[in-house]
Amino acid sequence: MGLVVIAAAKTLASSAVFLFITVLLIASAKRTITCITLFAAQCVIITAQIVAMACLRRSGEAVAVAVMVLLVKVVAIPYALLRVSTGLKVSPKVSSATTPAQSAFIAAALILLAFAVVQPYARDFALDSQMLAAATAMVLTGGFLMVSRRKALMQVVGLLVLENGIFLLALTTTFGMPLVIEMGIFFDLLIWVLLVGVFIFRIRETFAHVDVSRLRRLRG
Amino acid sequence: MTLWLPLLLPLAGAIVVLAFKHHRTAVRMALAIGSTEVLLLGVCAWKVRTCGVLQQGRYLRADGLTLLFLLNLALIFIVVLAYSAGYLRHIPKGRFSSPRWYYALLFLFLFTMIGAYLSANLGMLWIAIEATTLASALLVGFYNTKGAVEAGWKYLIVCTVGIAFALFGTIALYLAAVRGGIPADAALDWTALMSAAPGMARAHDLVKLAFVFAVVGYGTKIGFVPMHSWLPDAHAEAPAPISAMLSAALLNCAMYALLRWDAIISHAIGASFSHTLLLTFGCLSLLVAVFLMIVQRDLKRLLAYSSIEHMGIVALGVGIGGPLGLFGALLHTFNHSLAKTLLFFTTGRVRDTFSTLRIDRIRGMGRAIPFTGAVLIIGGVAIVGLPPFGLFVSEFAILMAAFISSHYLLAALMLVAFSIAFGALFYHFQHMLTGEPKAPLASSRLRRSEVAAICACSICLLVLGLYIPPAFTSIIHSAMAVLQ
Repeated sequence: MGLVVIAAAKTLASSAVFLFITVLLIASAKRTITCITLFAAQCVIITAQIVAMACLRRSGEAVAVAVMVLLVKVVAIPYALLRVSTGLKVSPKVSSATTPAQSAFIAAALILLAFAVVQPYARDFALDSQMLAAATAMVLTGGFLMVSRRKALMQVVGLLVLENGIFLLALTTTFGMPLVIEMGIFFDLLIWVLLVGVFIFRIRETFAHVDVSRLRRLRG
Repeated sequence: MTLWLPLLLPLAGAIVVLAFKHHRTAVRMALAIGSTEVLLLGVCAWKVRTCGVLQQGRYLRADGLTLLFLLNLALIFIVVLAYSAGYLRHIPKGRFSSPRWYYALLFLFLFTMIGAYLSANLGMLWIAIEATTLASALLVGFYNTKGAVEAGWKYLIVCTVGIAFALFGTIALYLAAVRGGIPADAALDWTALMSAAPGMARAHDLVKLAFVFAVVGYGTKIGFVPMHSWLPDAHAEAPAPISAMLSAALLNCAMYALLRWDAIISHAIGASFSHTLLLTFGCLSLLVAVFLMIVQRDLKRLLAYSSIEHMGIVALGVGIGGPLGLFGALLHTFNHSLAKTLLFFTTGRVRDTFSTLRIDRIRGMGRAIPFTGAVLIIGGVAIVGLPPFGLFVSEFAILMAAFISSHYLLAALMLVAFSIAFGALFYHFQHMLTGEPKAPLASSRLRRSEVAAICACSICLLVLGLYIPPAFTSIIHSAMAVLQ
């Protein structure tokens, strides 16, 4: 048991660093598929973290949440997104408004900003400031991806990263919300991804492209 | 059972309706299920009225505030259902745009909204409000035209991002509640939050942070400026009955969530912070919306901006507070939903006759379709808050509240905004009503069900303007008691 506890503690201590790495990589990735894979990797890290917490706190609920994250975010959502991205038969590039280097720089700046923002809260509530910063950085980078990427699919990835950040915030601050609520949130997320898939195909059918920055019929 | 049954019937109804491929049978089935549902909601309302509070299990709960909003939803839903029966003939045939899909999605939409009203828990409330976006996104894109697809996409993305902020707010409040000594599994139940709110005062900043995020999140769904960008697009591109549902039911549903939040935060750290925030967003929405109403070129977008304006007025009523302000705000949600439903119902006929909703291409409505023209005038008079219709009473109450609490500047701003809205609407409406039709018109007839729906709305509006039944006043008072 001692070894398991040590492993769990190590996982918790190092996962923030891995999350920062995924954030930087997603920001600088050139292909949509890479981004989706990185998103899945991010969710694997979060799953490992929940499992580690479950070990340390001996909580059965946390195991259930870990299983849900694994099924929904690591398997179902990336699979659905990959299906959409191969089914669309459009260029695999993310077509960003910024170059990969600029994006990486902005993501790094956002990570710094996240560290600065969370300090007072981490102090007041005696929380792990690294995890809080990682979660905040994910929220910010998710938002950045949404405003800078033109492809419909990349906006979805951005929103998923943002949601991951919020989920991680809940995890680090309150060890997750009650299980029923978590299940409801996962269900909503899954349906949302399905609907987004439907709409992306409809956009391609009616407009013959998936560049959402060119959807500007409705104004004023 | 009284709460579970009305919640689950629309869900079952959605599945049942999908099984009927034949057009007529699907419509009849939907009407039957819909009327049963409204009856069940009526029974539920009556029970809440006699018992005060109904609680079933840990997650379902109905009280005075729920009652008021449920009645509103039931009323809007039944008129929309009746109107849809005739309206569906306009929808072009497509794989997913058949009547059975329309009704199935409409029932799902109803299910999510009832879920939001009946949830006893801020987490459940969030899940239900997010689900309303999911259930209605396909309805917004129902016509499958370029505009509809774009509007549906925008709706799905903007509202989900907004609502994600509300989730963040919910988590922050949960943290504050747990640290404030509420047991973790009850820390999102808003009854527990209301009674234990003073304990959260220690985490003062966190509670404030939570409310800011909740206002931005639910405010996106309500259509507060500057998070309103999805609203005119979705309202303009959806089929007319769905626009009515969005404007009259969905916005109220999000407003209900914000009212619950506002009550909890006021209990925790005093009302001044949350009310100032509501006043700010209310003012901004009111002013920006009335100016944008002047330059609109599409009838449904004009109506959509008017919805933003009215949600701003409701937020002002809540923000000014006091018995009169809150009374006005609650009454206004009810009145606005009736008037806006009426106006959106006319747009179906206008589109049918003129084959467009561009205001500059619509002339001579008064001569070409006199009944619809008259309804447009009634709706217009009602929506700008002139007597003898209900909105006059509620707007007047909010204005009075502003004067009583000596918010003179605010009252002046509201009066200016009301007059601009009046000018904008009547400038556009007189253009459409008068003159000679430009192009040859398509002839169309109103179905009996459509006329019935329109008449029901107008009569309710007129009654609420002339005399508020004592039973209704006491319902509003019990809703106010929940919030104070």
